[in-house]
Amino acid sequence: MELSPETPRPAEPEIETSHVEEFVEQLRCVTDSLPSRINIDAQSVEQGLAKLVLTLIEFIRRLLEKQAVRRMEGGDLSPEQIEELGLALMKLEAKLHELKTQFGLTDEDLNLDLGPIGRLI
Amino acid sequence: MKLYAYCLTEGIDSPAESLTGINGSTVRLLNLNDFSLLVSDFAGDTVPVSRDNALAHAAVVRSVLDQTTPLPFRFGTLVTQQQLENYVTTRRDALQAKLELVRGCVEMSVKIIWDRPWTEEPPVTEPDKPGTAFLVEKRRELLGSETRAEEAKKIARWLTERLGEAVREKEFRANSTDKLLLTAAHLVERSRVEEYRSLLKNARLERPELHFLASGPWPPYSFANIDLEFKS
Repeated sequence: MELSPETPRPAEPEIETSHVEEFVEQLRCVTDSLPSRINIDAQSVEQGLAKLVLTLIEFIRRLLEKQAVRRMEGGDLSPEQIEELGLALMKLEAKLHELKTQFGLTDEDLNLDLGPIGRLI
Repeated sequence: MKLYAYCLTEGIDSPAESLTGINGSTVRLLNLNDFSLLVSDFAGDTVPVSRDNALAHAAVVRSVLDQTTPLPFRFGTLVTQQQLENYVTTRRDALQAKLELVRGCVEMSVKIIWDRPWTEEPPVTEPDKPGTAFLVEKRRELLGSETRAEEAKKIARWLTERLGEAVREKEFRANSTDKLLLTAAHLVERSRVEEYRSLLKNARLERPELHFLASGPWPPYSFANIDLEFKS
Protein backbone atom coordinates (compact mmCIF):
# COMPACT_ATOMS: atom_id res chain seq x y z
CA MET A 1 0.00 0.00 0.00
CA GLU A 2 1.44 3.34 -1.01
CA LEU A 3 1.08 6.16 1.50
CA SER A 4 -1.54 8.74 0.71
CA PRO A 5 -0.39 12.36 0.20
CA GLU A 6 -1.76 13.24 3.65
CA THR A 7 0.28 10.61 5.45
CA PRO A 8 3.24 12.25 7.18
CA ARG A 9 6.60 11.38 5.65
CA PRO A 10 9.21 10.42 8.22
CA ALA A 11 11.83 13.06 8.81
CA GLU A 12 15.51 12.23 8.75
CA PRO A 13 16.36 10.20 11.87
CA GLU A 14 17.29 12.29 14.87
CA ILE A 15 19.45 11.22 17.77
CA GLU A 16 18.84 13.01 21.01
CA THR A 17 20.71 12.70 24.30
CA SER A 18 22.36 14.87 26.92
CA HIS A 19 24.98 12.18 27.60
CA VAL A 20 26.73 11.60 24.29
CA GLU A 21 30.09 10.34 25.56
CA GLU A 22 28.50 7.93 28.02
CA PHE A 23 26.36 6.33 25.30
CA VAL A 24 29.22 6.20 22.80
CA GLU A 25 31.30 4.30 25.36
CA GLN A 26 28.51 1.85 26.16
CA LEU A 27 27.50 1.27 22.54
CA ARG A 28 31.13 0.62 21.68
CA CYS A 29 31.12 -2.14 24.32
CA VAL A 30 28.01 -3.64 22.71
CA THR A 31 29.36 -3.53 19.13
CA ASP A 32 32.72 -4.93 20.23
CA SER A 33 30.90 -7.93 21.61
CA LEU A 34 28.83 -8.62 18.48
CA PRO A 35 29.70 -12.01 17.04
CA SER A 36 31.57 -11.91 13.79
CA ARG A 37 30.75 -14.47 11.13
CA ILE A 38 32.75 -17.66 11.29
CA ASN A 39 34.63 -18.46 8.11
CA ILE A 40 34.92 -22.17 7.64
CA ASP A 41 38.61 -22.55 6.99
CA ALA A 42 41.18 -24.81 8.62
CA GLN A 43 42.39 -22.14 11.05
CA SER A 44 39.10 -20.73 12.24
CA VAL A 45 37.14 -23.95 12.46
CA GLU A 46 39.18 -25.17 15.44
CA GLN A 47 38.56 -21.95 17.32
CA GLY A 48 34.87 -22.01 16.36
CA LEU A 49 34.52 -25.52 17.75
CA ALA A 50 36.41 -24.61 20.93
CA LYS A 51 34.13 -21.60 21.35
CA LEU A 52 31.03 -23.74 21.09
CA VAL A 53 32.26 -26.39 23.53
CA LEU A 54 33.56 -23.85 26.04
CA THR A 55 30.28 -21.93 25.83
CA LEU A 56 28.38 -25.03 26.90
CA ILE A 57 30.85 -25.73 29.71
CA GLU A 58 30.59 -22.11 30.86
CA PHE A 59 26.80 -22.36 30.83
CA ILE A 60 26.89 -25.49 33.00
CA ARG A 61 29.51 -23.94 35.30
CA ARG A 62 27.27 -20.95 35.91
CA LEU A 63 24.32 -23.21 36.64
CA LEU A 64 26.44 -25.10 39.19
CA GLU A 65 27.47 -21.82 40.80
CA LYS A 66 23.87 -20.69 41.08
CA GLN A 67 22.82 -23.99 42.56
CA ALA A 68 25.69 -23.85 45.08
CA VAL A 69 24.73 -20.32 46.14
CA ARG A 70 21.09 -21.37 46.57
CA ARG A 71 22.12 -24.37 48.68
CA MET A 72 24.37 -22.15 50.79
CA GLU A 73 21.48 -19.69 51.31
CA GLY A 74 19.13 -22.55 52.11
CA GLY A 75 21.31 -23.59 55.04
CA ASP A 76 21.53 -27.25 54.04
CA LEU A 77 25.35 -27.24 53.80
CA SER A 78 27.82 -27.37 56.68
CA PRO A 79 30.69 -24.78 56.74
CA GLU A 80 33.07 -27.55 55.63
CA GLN A 81 30.86 -28.48 52.69
CA ILE A 82 30.57 -24.82 51.66
CA GLU A 83 34.34 -24.46 51.70
CA GLU A 84 34.82 -27.66 49.71
CA LEU A 85 32.19 -26.72 47.12
CA GLY A 86 33.61 -23.20 46.82
CA LEU A 87 37.13 -24.52 46.22
CA ALA A 88 35.92 -26.93 43.55
CA LEU A 89 34.04 -24.18 41.69
CA MET A 90 37.00 -21.83 42.06
CA LYS A 91 39.28 -24.39 40.41
CA LEU A 92 36.74 -24.96 37.63
CA GLU A 93 36.61 -21.22 36.94
CA ALA A 94 40.42 -21.00 36.85
CA LYS A 95 40.62 -23.96 34.47
CA LEU A 96 38.06 -22.47 32.12
CA HIS A 97 39.91 -19.16 32.19
CA GLU A 98 43.08 -21.02 31.20
CA LEU A 99 41.32 -22.71 28.26
CA LYS A 100 39.80 -19.41 27.11
CA THR A 101 43.26 -17.83 27.07
CA GLN A 102 44.65 -20.79 25.16
CA PHE A 103 42.06 -20.36 22.38
CA GLY A 104 42.19 -16.56 22.42
CA LEU A 105 38.58 -16.20 23.61
CA THR A 106 37.05 -13.57 25.90
CA ASP A 107 34.17 -13.85 28.36
CA GLU A 108 31.81 -12.26 25.86
CA ASP A 109 32.82 -14.78 23.19
CA LEU A 110 31.35 -17.53 25.36
CA ASN A 111 27.79 -16.56 24.70
CA LEU A 112 25.21 -17.52 22.13
CA ASP A 113 22.44 -15.36 20.75
CA LEU A 114 19.36 -17.58 20.80
CA GLY A 115 17.21 -15.05 18.96
CA PRO A 116 13.78 -14.44 20.48
CA ILE A 117 14.62 -16.22 23.75
CA GLY A 118 17.67 -14.06 24.37
CA ARG A 119 21.28 -14.86 25.08
CA LEU A 120 22.51 -18.09 26.56
CA ILE A 121 24.46 -16.49 29.41
CA MET B 1 25.25 -15.07 -9.33
CA LYS B 2 23.18 -14.56 -6.20
CA LEU B 3 20.86 -11.80 -5.14
CA TYR B 4 21.46 -9.61 -2.13
CA ALA B 5 18.05 -8.94 -0.53
CA TYR B 6 17.52 -5.59 1.23
CA CYS B 7 13.85 -5.45 2.05
CA LEU B 8 10.39 -6.60 1.14
CA THR B 9 7.81 -3.95 0.50
CA GLU B 10 4.64 -2.97 -1.31
CA GLY B 11 3.43 -0.08 -3.42
CA ILE B 12 6.78 0.77 -4.98
CA ASP B 13 7.11 1.29 -8.74
CA SER B 14 10.87 1.56 -8.95
CA PRO B 15 13.84 2.19 -6.68
CA ALA B 16 15.15 5.73 -6.38
CA GLU B 17 17.37 6.78 -9.27
CA SER B 18 21.09 6.54 -8.67
CA LEU B 19 20.50 4.26 -5.68
CA THR B 20 23.48 1.98 -5.16
CA GLY B 21 23.74 -0.99 -2.84
CA ILE B 22 26.44 -3.29 -1.51
CA ASN B 23 29.72 -2.87 -3.45
CA GLY B 24 28.19 -0.02 -5.44
CA SER B 25 25.84 -2.40 -7.26
CA THR B 26 22.64 -1.27 -8.94
CA VAL B 27 19.54 -1.82 -6.85
CA ARG B 28 16.51 -3.14 -8.68
CA LEU B 29 12.94 -3.98 -7.91
CA LEU B 30 11.86 -7.59 -8.13
CA ASN B 31 8.11 -8.19 -8.18
CA LEU B 32 7.07 -11.59 -6.84
CA ASN B 33 3.44 -12.43 -6.19
CA ASP B 34 1.99 -9.42 -4.37
CA PHE B 35 5.36 -8.27 -3.05
CA SER B 36 8.12 -6.04 -4.23
CA LEU B 37 11.66 -6.75 -3.14
CA LEU B 38 14.71 -4.54 -3.41
CA VAL B 39 17.68 -6.62 -4.51
CA SER B 40 21.03 -6.31 -6.24
CA ASP B 41 23.31 -8.84 -7.93
CA PHE B 42 26.12 -10.20 -5.78
CA ALA B 43 29.08 -12.34 -6.81
CA GLY B 44 30.24 -14.41 -3.86
CA ASP B 45 28.95 -16.48 -0.97
CA THR B 46 29.37 -14.13 1.99
CA VAL B 47 29.03 -10.41 2.48
CA PRO B 48 31.89 -8.87 4.49
CA VAL B 49 30.66 -7.14 7.64
CA SER B 50 32.05 -3.67 7.07
CA ARG B 51 30.95 -0.14 7.83
CA ASP B 52 30.46 0.65 4.11
CA ASN B 53 28.35 -2.46 3.52
CA ALA B 54 26.22 -1.87 6.61
CA LEU B 55 25.61 1.74 5.59
CA ALA B 56 24.78 0.69 2.02
CA HIS B 57 22.21 -1.83 3.30
CA ALA B 58 20.64 0.77 5.61
CA ALA B 59 20.55 3.43 2.86
CA VAL B 60 18.65 1.13 0.47
CA VAL B 61 16.09 0.16 3.12
CA ARG B 62 15.66 3.77 4.14
CA SER B 63 15.25 4.94 0.53
CA VAL B 64 11.67 3.63 0.39
CA LEU B 65 10.63 4.80 3.85
CA ASP B 66 9.27 8.06 2.43
CA GLN B 67 6.79 6.11 0.32
CA THR B 68 5.97 3.03 2.36
CA THR B 69 7.10 0.98 5.36
CA PRO B 70 9.39 -1.87 4.29
CA LEU B 71 10.24 -5.12 6.05
CA PRO B 72 14.03 -5.16 6.14
CA PHE B 73 15.93 -8.39 5.62
CA ARG B 74 18.79 -9.16 7.95
CA PHE B 75 22.13 -7.76 6.78
CA GLY B 76 23.96 -10.24 4.58
CA THR B 77 20.94 -12.11 3.15
CA LEU B 78 22.07 -13.80 -0.08
CA VAL B 79 19.69 -15.96 -2.09
CA THR B 80 18.87 -17.15 -5.57
CA GLN B 81 15.78 -15.81 -7.31
CA GLN B 82 14.23 -19.28 -7.07
CA GLN B 83 14.73 -19.30 -3.29
CA LEU B 84 13.12 -15.87 -3.01
CA GLU B 85 10.15 -17.01 -5.08
CA ASN B 86 9.68 -20.08 -2.89
CA TYR B 87 10.04 -17.97 0.21
CA VAL B 88 7.38 -15.39 -0.65
CA THR B 89 5.05 -18.10 -1.90
CA THR B 90 5.25 -20.31 1.17
CA ARG B 91 5.33 -17.39 3.65
CA ARG B 92 2.76 -15.26 1.90
CA ASP B 93 0.27 -15.03 4.78
CA ALA B 94 2.91 -14.42 7.43
CA LEU B 95 4.55 -11.71 5.33
CA GLN B 96 1.20 -10.04 4.64
CA ALA B 97 0.52 -10.03 8.39
CA LYS B 98 3.92 -8.48 9.08
CA LEU B 99 3.34 -5.79 6.45
CA GLU B 100 -0.05 -5.11 7.98
CA LEU B 101 1.56 -4.68 11.41
CA VAL B 102 4.15 -2.13 10.29
CA ARG B 103 2.03 -0.35 7.68
CA GLY B 104 2.10 3.41 8.15
CA CYS B 105 4.56 3.16 11.04
CA VAL B 106 8.21 3.84 11.81
CA GLU B 107 10.49 2.53 14.52
CA MET B 108 11.64 4.79 17.35
CA SER B 109 14.42 3.66 19.62
CA VAL B 110 15.21 4.41 23.28
CA LYS B 111 18.34 3.35 25.16
CA ILE B 112 18.58 3.88 28.89
CA ILE B 113 21.67 4.11 31.09
CA TRP B 114 21.44 3.94 34.86
CA ASP B 115 24.86 4.52 36.32
CA ARG B 116 24.60 3.08 39.81
CA PRO B 117 26.13 0.13 41.67
CA TRP B 118 24.08 -3.05 41.41
CA THR B 119 25.95 -5.10 43.98
CA GLU B 120 26.14 -4.70 47.75
CA GLU B 121 29.40 -3.86 49.51
CA PRO B 122 31.57 -7.01 49.73
CA PRO B 123 31.26 -8.68 53.15
CA VAL B 124 34.28 -9.45 55.30
CA THR B 125 35.31 -13.09 54.94
CA GLU B 126 37.83 -15.27 56.74
CA PRO B 127 41.18 -15.30 54.86
CA ASP B 128 41.79 -19.00 55.57
CA LYS B 129 38.55 -19.98 53.81
CA PRO B 130 39.04 -19.09 50.12
CA GLY B 131 36.32 -21.48 48.94
CA THR B 132 33.71 -19.86 51.19
CA ALA B 133 34.86 -16.38 50.17
CA PHE B 134 34.50 -17.42 46.52
CA LEU B 135 30.88 -18.54 47.00
CA VAL B 136 30.03 -15.44 49.05
CA GLU B 137 31.35 -13.26 46.22
CA LYS B 138 29.33 -15.27 43.68
CA ARG B 139 26.23 -14.74 45.77
CA ARG B 140 26.88 -10.99 45.79
CA GLU B 141 27.27 -10.94 42.00
CA LEU B 142 24.14 -13.04 41.53
CA LEU B 143 22.03 -10.77 43.72
CA GLY B 144 23.36 -7.71 41.87
CA SER B 145 22.47 -9.26 38.54
CA GLU B 146 18.94 -10.15 39.72
CA THR B 147 18.39 -6.63 41.08
CA ARG B 148 19.52 -5.17 37.78
CA ALA B 149 17.19 -7.41 35.75
CA GLU B 150 14.26 -6.57 38.04
CA GLU B 151 14.90 -2.83 37.71
CA ALA B 152 15.10 -3.16 33.92
CA LYS B 153 11.65 -4.81 33.94
CA LYS B 154 10.20 -2.09 36.17
CA ILE B 155 11.57 0.67 33.93
CA ALA B 156 10.20 -1.09 30.84
CA ARG B 157 6.73 -1.17 32.46
CA TRP B 158 7.00 2.47 33.52
CA LEU B 159 8.04 3.56 30.02
CA THR B 160 5.17 1.62 28.46
CA GLU B 161 2.72 3.39 30.75
CA ARG B 162 4.13 6.82 29.99
CA LEU B 163 4.11 6.39 26.21
CA GLY B 164 0.60 4.96 26.26
CA GLU B 165 -1.25 4.57 23.00
CA ALA B 166 1.29 6.49 20.96
CA VAL B 167 3.01 3.11 20.63
CA ARG B 168 1.47 0.37 18.49
CA GLU B 169 3.99 -2.34 19.34
CA LYS B 170 7.07 -2.59 21.56
CA GLU B 171 10.18 -4.69 22.02
CA PHE B 172 12.47 -4.55 25.04
CA ARG B 173 15.91 -5.96 25.55
CA ALA B 174 17.80 -5.92 28.83
CA ASN B 175 21.42 -5.10 28.05
CA SER B 176 24.55 -6.79 29.15
CA THR B 177 26.92 -3.89 29.76
CA ASP B 178 27.18 -2.49 33.28
CA LYS B 179 25.60 0.87 32.61
CA LEU B 180 23.33 0.32 29.63
CA LEU B 181 20.26 -1.09 31.30
CA LEU B 182 17.62 -1.28 28.63
CA THR B 183 17.00 -0.92 24.91
CA ALA B 184 13.46 -0.33 23.72
CA ALA B 185 12.10 -0.30 20.18
CA HIS B 186 8.70 1.27 19.60
CA LEU B 187 6.54 0.93 16.52
CA VAL B 188 4.84 4.31 16.12
CA GLU B 189 2.33 5.49 13.56
CA ARG B 190 3.81 8.24 11.44
CA SER B 191 1.06 10.66 12.42
CA ARG B 192 1.88 10.12 16.13
CA VAL B 193 5.65 10.59 16.07
CA GLU B 194 5.48 14.11 17.52
CA GLU B 195 3.05 12.96 20.22
CA TYR B 196 5.45 10.10 21.03
CA ARG B 197 8.39 12.50 21.27
CA SER B 198 6.47 14.79 23.57
CA LEU B 199 5.45 11.92 25.87
CA LEU B 200 9.01 10.65 25.95
CA LYS B 201 10.29 14.11 26.83
CA ASN B 202 7.91 14.25 29.80
CA ALA B 203 9.01 10.80 30.92
CA ARG B 204 12.66 11.84 30.79
CA LEU B 205 11.93 14.82 33.03
CA GLU B 206 10.23 12.53 35.50
CA ARG B 207 13.29 10.29 35.98
CA PRO B 208 16.42 12.49 35.93
CA GLU B 209 18.55 9.65 37.32
CA LEU B 210 18.09 7.77 34.05
CA HIS B 211 20.07 8.83 31.00
CA PHE B 212 18.20 8.51 27.72
CA LEU B 213 19.28 8.22 24.12
CA ALA B 214 16.29 8.57 21.82
CA SER B 215 16.57 8.08 18.08
CA GLY B 216 14.43 7.64 15.01
CA PRO B 217 12.46 7.42 12.84
CA TRP B 218 13.99 4.21 11.47
CA PRO B 219 12.66 1.42 9.27
CA PRO B 220 11.06 -1.23 11.52
CA TYR B 221 14.15 -3.43 11.93
CA SER B 222 13.04 -4.72 15.34
CA PHE B 223 9.59 -5.75 14.11
CA ALA B 224 10.37 -7.31 10.74
CA ASN B 225 11.94 -10.61 11.77
CA ILE B 226 12.11 -11.89 8.22
CA ASP B 227 15.48 -13.54 8.53
CA LEU B 228 13.65 -16.84 8.29
CA GLU B 229 15.41 -19.72 6.70
CA PHE B 230 15.50 -19.87 2.93
CA LYS B 231 14.87 -23.23 1.36
CA SER B 232 15.23 -23.90 -2.32
